[in-house]
Order: sequence, then structure tokens, then C-alpha cells
Amino acid sequence: MPSLKYLSPEWTAEAEKRLRSQLTPEAMKNLTSSMLTVYHNCPDGKERAFYYKIEDGVFTDISIRENPLPEAEFVISGDYDTFAKISRSEIGSRSALMNGKLRLQGNMVKALSLASIVDRFNKILSEIPCEY
Amino acid sequence: MTNDPYFIDFPGRIKAIQREMAADGIDVYLGSRLRTLSWTTDAFFPWRSYIVIPAEGLPTAFTFVIDAARAADESWLDTDHVLGFAPMGGQDQIFAISGLILNHLKGKKGVVGVEAGMSNYLPEGNLTHYEYQAFETALPGIKLVNALDIIDRLSLIKDEGTINRFRKAGQMADAGHVAVYNAIKNGGFKKYTETEIAGIAAMGMREAGSVWEWSFTGGNEIASGYRTGFMGGACTPPTDRKLQPGEPLMVDLHSTFKLGLGDHTHNYLLAPATDRQKWHAKNFVDLVALVLKTYGPGVSPSSLADKMMIFCEERGFAEYMVPGFEHGIGMLGDEWRIGRNDGPFPYWTNPDHIYEPSEMLICALQYACPDENIGFRYENAILITKDGCETMSKYPLAVEVVE
Repeated sequence: MPSLKYLSPEWTAEAEKRLRSQLTPEAMKNLTSSMLTVYHNCPDGKERAFYYKIEDGVFTDISIRENPLPEAEFVISGDYDTFAKISRSEIGSRSALMNGKLRLQGNMVKALSLASIVDRFNKILSEIPCEY
Repeated sequence: MTNDPYFIDFPGRIKAIQREMAADGIDVYLGSRLRTLSWTTDAFFPWRSYIVIPAEGLPTAFTFVIDAARAADESWLDTDHVLGFAPMGGQDQIFAISGLILNHLKGKKGVVGVEAGMSNYLPEGNLTHYEYQAFETALPGIKLVNALDIIDRLSLIKDEGTINRFRKAGQMADAGHVAVYNAIKNGGFKKYTETEIAGIAAMGMREAGSVWEWSFTGGNEIASGYRTGFMGGACTPPTDRKLQPGEPLMVDLHSTFKLGLGDHTHNYLLAPATDRQKWHAKNFVDLVALVLKTYGPGVSPSSLADKMMIFCEERGFAEYMVPGFEHGIGMLGDEWRIGRNDGPFPYWTNPDHIYEPSEMLICALQYACPDENIGFRYENAILITKDGCETMSKYPLAVEVVE
């Protein structure tokens, strides 16, 4: 598979396809939530966000958004470069959070219970061949 | 209405705080003291914790993330209003709390009430210098003012649910005393150390439903022999000292029920007892009886101390007395100072504080004769009533000689 440009419409379509096919509602613990990953300082200078909406374990919206950004139960924000490094497995997402390179907004107690699910998302997304 | 004797109207407390905030020109209250957390949430917060009270609506408590779910389970607040903080981006306490405060202020430059000052009670929880500066930086243009008097004046008069929790905690302390007496009677005391007595009492109280030997001064404070006679010695965490015949034994028990606190001290003479020891014991018992008879509305700490010290002088034992007969008490975390911060020495009890009905305090006396290796302590939570006081522990006042 050719490399896709990170956060491009093609990358987003591939991400949606993989997430929907690989994460069943059971694997998602029938979760209902919404998450927004906000990328500051994208290569074109813009701010973008990857938005997921999940109802009863089913993805009902997977999309790239620009301002104005939708509200979400959890918001993870950081520099594009940081997310790129996480996708390339150069740094771990937990390490980035612990070092303050990423910021999480939302109920931390609930976030703890969702950490394993988010790890699954990230693993699937990191397997998409892409260029940054 | 509820039939629960331990019911406390926590939403009503929050509304009362919000009325006082409005009167004092405070837009958001940031509480950090343990007493404030207990009084507003009905949950036990052993970690550094905070509560953010907006001008209207529900407050939000913040605690260390590892304990937030448990605290929410205990509290009347739901999991969206008991949040965890952690050392990670966007979740550290300064960022998370200042973010919520900014949301409540809706872009206004407002006034945030904080809890500052000092206390001789270590777990008090006033805002630290670092926290104050960090919140000031995170809340640019917003004024931080010391507002702890709001909670202190509202929590002074106890409601029925709180009083009943203290009554229940007092019964639990009594159960601890029964357990201790059963263990030490008929020469049983010779088998035990102070720490073992503390454990026997803890077992008795736990069996009665107490959840914690709450005091920061060593849980159940047990002293024997010379350790009962430390001058001013109102703090005796137990040691591995063996109980010995011919010595005094001080049993100071601390029970906890729904954040209500039991605190009662009973004293013994382990046989054989000398006439001189019995003389000390009688002085002490007579004084405690007089103190309990004297407490009531209109009395102040200084007026009571003056009267009692005259009695001690007349009986010839004033030199053995600490001239103080009380310390403050409230839901967990509220200890030591009586009343508000309005005395001549900031953050200490105002000696001229006038007691009113439905105030609670710990009636506390320390009798110490270090030269003779003997001392006694009395502590009992009391409720000021219309015409006197009600003791929370009903354990009979005496210094028994245990054969």
C-alpha cells in the first residue's frame, strides 16, 4: 500500500475503514463517547482535529475537522510534530502526556477507564503507511 | 424529608456558601482545607484536594486521580463533579482547576475566594505559597482573596445530622473503652503494652462500626506510667511500653462515623494505687465534673478557664493543670481552633468567643504531675445546649483502680 499523507482525506478514509473493521462494539466495550485530537502547528500552519464520535461501541463519525472545532467529551491537543512522533513510535503517547507535550481535557477518571481502548485506536492508526 | 438521622443537606450547604459568596463579592470559591472538603462533599479526602464552588450550581471537587472514583462514590456529588488530577498535560491540578474557574467566570475578571492562613493542625490544607502564585499566574487579572471565614462561620453551628453523627461516634468510642476495660480488668493489664491497648480499643470501636482511629496525634493515644504526666502533654501516641502495676493508664480513643468524630479519654490507676495517686485522681474527676456542669451558652474559653483555675487553686492542684479546657471540633479536618478567626492571635482560638447553642467542641483537660509520674486527660465531644452541654461519649466519668 502506498504511503498516505498524514491527516489527508485519503488517510482519513483509510483510518475510518480500519477502525470500523477492526474494532467491534464488544472490543469498544459498547462505549458511548466523543474524542477530539487537536493538532497544533500543522505543516501548512493550520490547526486541525481528528474527531471520533462513538455510540454503543459503533463509530458514527470519524472525520478531520478545522475551526470551529466540535465539542467532545475528551480533547487531546498537542503539536503536529508530537503526534507524528507518536505515530512513528518515536515516543509513546503516555510519555508525551506525562511530559506535558500533549494535553488531555476531560474527566481523568473516565479517561483512565478508556485508556486501553484509545491504545487500540492508536495502534491501528499507526499501522497506516503514511508520510508527514 | 428523610428519616435518616445522619442526613445532612449538602446542597443546602452549598447554597448557603453561594449566598455568602454573593454578599462578600466572591465569584468562585476555591476551597483547599480538609474541613472544607468534608463539610461540602461528605467524603473523605486524604490526598491534597480542592473544591471549586461557582456562584450558582453544583461544586466540583478535585483530588488525586487514583482516589477520585472512591471519593465520588462516598460523596453526594456525582462522578462529573468529583474529578481527578494527575501529573500530565492538561490534568495537573493548577491547569485543570484554573480551567474550570475560567469557565465559571465566563470571560469576566472576577474575584476568587481562597483559603489561606495558618494552623497548628498539620492537615489543615490552606493554600500553599506555590499554589497561590501558580493560580495567580493561571488566572490573569483575577483577584484572589482570603475567604475562609465563609466556611468557618457557616460550619460553626451544627445541624442535627452532624450532631447525630457525633453522638454515634461517641457511642463507638464507648465501645472501645468497654473492650479495653474487659482486657485490663482482673490483672489482665499485665499482659499488654500501650500499642496493644490501642489495638484492643480499635477492635472494639471497629466492631461498633467506627471506620478509622482518626486522630493525627497517633490514632488511639495510650499512655502509661510517667508518660501520662508529661507537662502540657496532650499528645501520646502509644509505645511498646508494658503496663505495670502501681501506674496510671490513660486511654484516649478516636472513632469515626460518617466524618463525625469520637474523641474520649478515660483514665485508670493500675493496682495497687497509693493514697497520693487517688488524691490526684479525685482532683481530676471533681474538676472534670465541674467543667461539664459549667459549659453552656454565654460561656467563653477565658471565662471558663478563670473559674476553673480558681477551683484548682482552692483545692491545691493548680500547678498540675494546663489552663485550657477545650479545643475545636467539626467534621473531619476541623480540629483545634474554636469558632472563627477573630481572636487576638490570628488563626488561634479567640479566648473571648461566646458559646452558643448547637456549637460543638471537645471538652479537653490535661492534668500532669511529672515529678510523681502521674497525669490524667479528659476529652469528650460536647454539644452546647440551651442550658448546658450534652456529652457525646456517655462513658461514666471516673478514675477506676483496676485490680
